[in-house]
Amino acid sequence: MTCAEFQKVLPYIIDGGGSAEEQQHLATCQVCSDLIADLRYIAEAAKLLVPMEDPSPRVWTGIQESLEREGMVKPARKHV
Amino acid sequence: MTTAKKILANGIPEQEAIDRAKQGDAECFEALYGLHKRRVYSLCLRMVGNTAEAEDLTQEAFLQLFRKIATFRGESAFSTWLHRLAVNVVLMHLRKKGLPEVSLEETLEPQNEDGPRKDIGARDNALVGAIDRVNLERSIESLPPGYRIIFVLHDVEGYEHNEIAEMMGCSIGNSKSQLHKARMKLRDLLKLSQAERAAKR
Ligand SMILES: [Zn+2]
Repeated sequence: MTCAEFQKVLPYIIDGGGSAEEQQHLATCQVCSDLIADLRYIAEAAKLLVPMEDPSPRVWTGIQESLEREGMVKPARKHV
Repeated sequence: MTTAKKILANGIPEQEAIDRAKQGDAECFEALYGLHKRRVYSLCLRMVGNTAEAEDLTQEAFLQLFRKIATFRGESAFSTWLHRLAVNVVLMHLRKKGLPEVSLEETLEPQNEDGPRKDIGARDNALVGAIDRVNLERSIESLPPGYRIIFVLHDVEGYEHNEIAEMMGCSIGNSKSQLHKARMKLRDLLKLSQAERAAKR
């Protein structure tokens, strides 16, 4: 199996699976195992991205106005 | 905003806030908004890459949420329900804007599909250990929209390929191949910025 052949099936086996031949290629090919390491590292790094920013206050103002206009807020509990 | 924090910090469970919001309790609408706004906004912002649009979409997502809240039966977590709704709002918006790649069909850089991989046979610097958050955020932002969406949904937000396929109306295989291309593109971008930083030293 060549690197090109391996990299063609890679999208479908990166999360597990892969034939014996594919596993064999991965075990012996530094280029492809480096590539997989990079791709997995990117995926891992992405998981650690946390939400950092709040929306500006205008978002809530807009929601509040619509809620009131559409009559979804019970007037008795309305607060300013 | 402080009201929302107080309600939840005072230990009113989310479920109670939901029940009261169903009755039209303004405080509870605000509490639910306060609890979830950051995550929903960040989802929208990462998907569209534009602050003003992300804010409009956040507003739209919460409005749809509140309009439908009476139908929420709690089979899934409220946050799961809300995030899925927000994704749909964003995807709908992008389709309306006429971004064909949002269909996830092979419209993006098809010339790369079977072309030679420049990686093949060539070792270069590994990325492992070399990505910082700011760089990654910036690189995601500069991905083409179709790639950015699939990457954010799968790798950042944690959706499975079958869920993405359903939301995007594409096949699971298509979702996998697009994700792969997105990660490859991101890898290029990250390596580029790595090389640029190394050159400055
Ligand atoms: Zn190889």
